[in-house]
Amino acid sequence: MECKDYRERFTSFLTDSLHQAQRSEIERHLEGCAGCREEFESAKKIWDLMGEMAQPEPSSAMQADFNAILTEFKKGQDIQKNPFGEWINKLREFLYMQVQPRLVYSLLLVAFGLVGGYFLHQPGQSSIAYNKQIDSLSSQVSEMKQVMMFSLLQDHSASQRIRAVAYTEEINNVDFKVIGALFTTLNEDPNVNVRLATLDALVKLAGEPKVREGLVRSIDLQESPLMQTAIADVMVKLQEKSSIRSLQKLLHKKDLNKMVKFNIEKSIQRLI
Amino acid sequence: MDTLSDNAIMLKVQSGDIDKMGLLYERYHRQLFRFLYNMTRQKELSEDLVQNVFIRMLKYNDGFMGYGEFKTWMYRIARNIVYDHFKKVKKTPTHTDVTDYETKIVGEQFADAQIEKEQELKILEVAMEKLSTENRELLILCRFEELKYHEIAKILNTTEGAIKVRIHRALNQLKSNYLEIDH
Repeated sequence: MECKDYRERFTSFLTDSLHQAQRSEIERHLEGCAGCREEFESAKKIWDLMGEMAQPEPSSAMQADFNAILTEFKKGQDIQKNPFGEWINKLREFLYMQVQPRLVYSLLLVAFGLVGGYFLHQPGQSSIAYNKQIDSLSSQVSEMKQVMMFSLLQDHSASQRIRAVAYTEEINNVDFKVIGALFTTLNEDPNVNVRLATLDALVKLAGEPKVREGLVRSIDLQESPLMQTAIADVMVKLQEKSSIRSLQKLLHKKDLNKMVKFNIEKSIQRLI
Repeated sequence: MDTLSDNAIMLKVQSGDIDKMGLLYERYHRQLFRFLYNMTRQKELSEDLVQNVFIRMLKYNDGFMGYGEFKTWMYRIARNIVYDHFKKVKKTPTHTDVTDYETKIVGEQFADAQIEKEQELKILEVAMEKLSTENRELLILCRFEELKYHEIAKILNTTEGAIKVRIHRALNQLKSNYLEIDH
């Protein structure tokens, strides 16, 4: 380095803006260079003299004056207070506390990922739980309806018994107990309307072989012409060929209604 | 409360806690006064200007961004206020006529060291006044306010390297002003 380079650093030396190594370097140069030493001393003299310049103190009344200004300002401020600004500043304050924007950014990113992941995952999980709940609820309802049905079937009122039969449509898993109760009603209920309704309900369950068997067996037991015709129609609808024998047996019954006899004959023809 | 950073206090002021500005006043009004006094060389005026700086900081507190330093913001406002003042009075101290001082100083005899020091300080004062406002401001920020290059760079919105060069030139200018008067 030449003298010119050293001299350019004199100010930085005085303002204490150099590293220790740079300071030492300048100090070493000054020891051996009288010209630079003189230059440095004159700069240092000015610098030190500046430090000795009188600096007046502000008057002590200033603080009190400012407090008055502050009070006055607050009065004006209260009138036009903005509630949103407060929140924005709280957020700003919070972000500032994090000091490093990069840290805030990465934290936000992680938080965003977590929240996003949570929400993305949520639907699957909740719908499974939801479905489970629905399943258990509907099975409970179905059980309740079964209990209701059994108790209503014992009712004196025919209309209540018809309601009971109608409930079977709403029971999801019709078990043998229910089917047994329906057949008892079909064969033994004193009211024709109840028996007709029961027949309707059983036809809907005809997918079950036991139900079809029961219906065929029931042909022999029906006394009412209305029931006899209805059950014959059902047999045709179901194309239940095993019912032909029972129907033929019915034709030989003594006091068979003529109309019924005609209908059953037609039914047998259709089944064959 | 004293342990709170300037920025934390200022953010409280922004959120409506106006009283907290009192803490910042306590911390900085002397420093600010010193800056304004050295810029204007008028005590009473400088006191008024200090209050103006704080009023402006209260009024436009939303101009303070939490990520910048409060001190930088404060000095920027103080500079605006002092330059506004110079514009208003249409007289920048750069053009102060110093010939009166010169003849007075040169014409007198000083006996002892005490008086010699006083004379030197007087010369320095005149030399300072002969500086351009920009150079004087740089030296005030650096010497009297004891700010670092990077802090001054932020206030003047420039680079640290530029400030280093400019302060070096300003000090050299002051030195040559001083020597000019002294001889």
